[in-house]
Amino acid sequence: MAASSSAAAPTDTYDIPWVEKYRPSRVADVVGNSDAVSRLEVIARDGNMPNLILSGPPGTGKTTSILALAHEMLGPSYREGVLELNASDDRGLDVVRNKIKMFAQKKVTLPPGRHKIVILDEADSMTTGAQQALRRTMEIYSNTTRFALACNTSSKIIEPIQSRCAIVRFSRLSDQEILGRLMVVVAAEKVPYVPEGLEAIIFTADGDMRQALNNLQATVSGFRFVNQENVFKVCDQPHPLHVKNMVKNVLDGKFDEACSGLKQLYDLGYSPTDIITTLFRVVKNYDMAEYLKLELLKETGFAHMRICDGVGSFLQLSGLLAKFAIVRETAKA
Amino acid sequence: MGKRPPLVVLSSSDDDDGGGRCTGSRAPSARRTRTPAPPPPAAKQAPSSSRKKLRRGSSGGRGRRGASDPAPSGSLKAEFDMLSEDFTECLNDLGTSGSMHQTKELWVDKYRPHSLAELAVHKKKVEDVKKWLEEKLMAPKGTHGGWSLVLTGQAGVGKSATVKAIAAEIGADMCEWTTPVPTLWAEHMHASSGLQYVSKLEEFENFVEKIRKFSLLFPTTIGSQRKLIIALIDDIPVTSGNASLARLGKCLTSLIQSTQIPTVISLTHYHKSEANDTAMWNSEELESLLQRAGAHKIVFNPVTISSIKKILFRICKQESSSTTEELVHEIATSCGGDIRHAIMSLQYYCLNPRRLNSALATSATLLESTGFGALAQGQDCYSRSSSMPSPCGRDETLTLFHALGKFLHNKRESHGDVNIDLDSFPLKEKLRRNPLKMDVPEMILSQAHGKVRTVADFLHENALDFIDDDAVDDAWVVMSYLSEADCLLAGSPITSARWTVNESNESGSMSQLIAASVAARGVLFGNAHASLSRWHTIRSPKVWQIERTFRSTKDQILNERFDCSSTPGSRNFSEIVNDFRPFERWICPRSYMPRNVSVHHDVDGNNSEEDVIEDC
Repeated sequence: MAASSSAAAPTDTYDIPWVEKYRPSRVADVVGNSDAVSRLEVIARDGNMPNLILSGPPGTGKTTSILALAHEMLGPSYREGVLELNASDDRGLDVVRNKIKMFAQKKVTLPPGRHKIVILDEADSMTTGAQQALRRTMEIYSNTTRFALACNTSSKIIEPIQSRCAIVRFSRLSDQEILGRLMVVVAAEKVPYVPEGLEAIIFTADGDMRQALNNLQATVSGFRFVNQENVFKVCDQPHPLHVKNMVKNVLDGKFDEACSGLKQLYDLGYSPTDIITTLFRVVKNYDMAEYLKLELLKETGFAHMRICDGVGSFLQLSGLLAKFAIVRETAKA
Repeated sequence: MGKRPPLVVLSSSDDDDGGGRCTGSRAPSARRTRTPAPPPPAAKQAPSSSRKKLRRGSSGGRGRRGASDPAPSGSLKAEFDMLSEDFTECLNDLGTSGSMHQTKELWVDKYRPHSLAELAVHKKKVEDVKKWLEEKLMAPKGTHGGWSLVLTGQAGVGKSATVKAIAAEIGADMCEWTTPVPTLWAEHMHASSGLQYVSKLEEFENFVEKIRKFSLLFPTTIGSQRKLIIALIDDIPVTSGNASLARLGKCLTSLIQSTQIPTVISLTHYHKSEANDTAMWNSEELESLLQRAGAHKIVFNPVTISSIKKILFRICKQESSSTTEELVHEIATSCGGDIRHAIMSLQYYCLNPRRLNSALATSATLLESTGFGALAQGQDCYSRSSSMPSPCGRDETLTLFHALGKFLHNKRESHGDVNIDLDSFPLKEKLRRNPLKMDVPEMILSQAHGKVRTVADFLHENALDFIDDDAVDDAWVVMSYLSEADCLLAGSPITSARWTVNESNESGSMSQLIAASVAARGVLFGNAHASLSRWHTIRSPKVWQIERTFRSTKDQILNERFDCSSTPGSRNFSEIVNDFRPFERWICPRSYMPRNVSVHHDVDGNNSEEDVIEDC
């Protein structure tokens, strides 16, 4: 604990979010999605970026890699050569027609083979009309200006735009990839930790690097030590290990113990929604026979539905455990 | 506005060079036209780039107006030096580098078809268009009507490219409608004293007016030798609201009825992403309007896989890139008949990351340095996803088919219970299944990028085909699971209505996830006696979509009822549907139209994925 406080002292003055502090500035440093990233790296080196749509779940490095790509490609002329708009900027029809078009017509001195870049972050929140207006602009100015759209679901982008772009898909990061990055941050910030703590962070992040780093920072600034309890305290999620034990008890036929585990969890003040969300993730990743998994998922779904309907009582959760037990009994040879 | 970066300004003396910098970097030929430099051997590019230059020439003049601050002359000199340095560098670059880097154009532009032979469009369609155009070009002036052609089809099937190629072939000039430079944003902002935007619609109207007048004057201006002109309208302005739509319709109608030069209007079909998006004009509606006005219509079909492949191979050869046949095949099949997207994808996938081994090496060391084998043992289901080739392709339904195929074909390990005894307790014989010969279903689903509702509908429609004819039990099981998934998806009506208000997005997505895994796993589990693998086509679930549309419309009406009336519950459905809706339609016919059409369209276009349950 002492070591941590002394190490953290200089950074305490300006505590910028670690997500920003450790945002990779080079494409090569972007974690995960190695295929996409390595192609983007080629673009960063050679220029001539095709119009791109980067699509994938949040926290997988879409924005990071496109920003890094723009920085690497344009270097010092980044400020002139890049127009970055995200959902917080106004991106209605007028902006597309004026701002983007004016930018596309603007003359900028760039190295050979480089183009101005328009980065439209969160492009799936653009209206259809705005996208429609973008369509022709993309084509006419393709020799000076290229577009990069980042979005969560590419289906929200209208087909004419999709047709003009190459789609780069980003998938969730693997636990190893997140861990690798966490280790770098942990080493740089001299964070005291136990491996289980990092494991807990990875669990809570669920393939989302941004979430992982935010949780790590929250834990560190809250408790100055990364272990399981602290992480789950900060993230305010029921301890998955606890939930996992519960499921294990049910499957082993120890129903009483499972129920007392649930009671403990409930007494800690977690809402049924929290518990069932964790339960779902535990069940999803639990290694069990196919039939059991299917049935357990199904029952969890129904219980979740009831809780969403407003019947979020302890009885529902106990009932769910009971149903698990019944499933087990019927399946047992 | 504050975020807008300052313009780099080049004074008029080296304005041309400045233009050359940003435009000319794409092609050496453009540079040649402006500076006295030794001509690089890129004659093939000349026609296309000169055409582009013409277009830029007109628009650039006004664009320069925006960059009006004069630059200090001291920095100008330095800039000029840098420019020339860059220029020589660029020339050297030209000499040394291989064909791969000769031009910095998009391949879509670079390999734009210049002749009819290069078009990937079906020969017959090209012939149709060509015949029509030739007929019109030869026809005597003065006849009214029948001078316009509407080309429809989905995005990237070569509508405009065909017209351009034909025009080049028969030596006609193209007169294109390109949206003019808009009123400056800043101008509008600072001159708030009522300086109006010229709306795109007005500009379009002016353009149409010009075409009409021009064509009337036309025969007198040139004597016997008639110059061939084709007008191409590619970019119909986006309108919002009924009034402007009506104006656009009127404008187009008058254009079609009075134009006297062959006018080609290209309309792109696309599926609307949101059912309630009434702001946009609807391509079907516009199309029928144009046809009523007397335009000839030619529908372009998606480009066939084989011709896309042919084009892609040709490009590969010209770029001398080493792409595998497999990749080309995959791009061609997954682009859905969209040649432009296929070429874009090819350009992206031809970026060869193998020359950059450092990236892979670093990521590999990162992986090695982890050293926590025990970590998260249950959750490695995502870990392989990065190593898998990322799916290319424009439309998600295509990768969806891949996932569906996996679920439906249900490939499993053939040899008996190898892994069963690993489990903690024995299962009943009939509940045992051999391990799957695929990834975890959840992972496949997450990679399929499909909406859960679509997955469930498709599974429902097709699952029976894949079950052995005698295995009725299996069909029971599968259907019961699918029905449960459906139930989970829909939720109770109360929840689905309330989600709009207070329920977080997360819980919605969680029930979606569960429903997806129940549906997929249910099909996998239930189909114990898979029928022999023969060829099945996967049908699109029309019936279920109609049902779903019905349900969603009902939901919508319900919502509207809550929205509009201050006394909810006082009217029932039949009253709304039978009395109020027709009345509404009667008072404002336009406002009802799009909704009606979009519902119809939803049923029609099987892949459109409006998930109203989720949306509302």
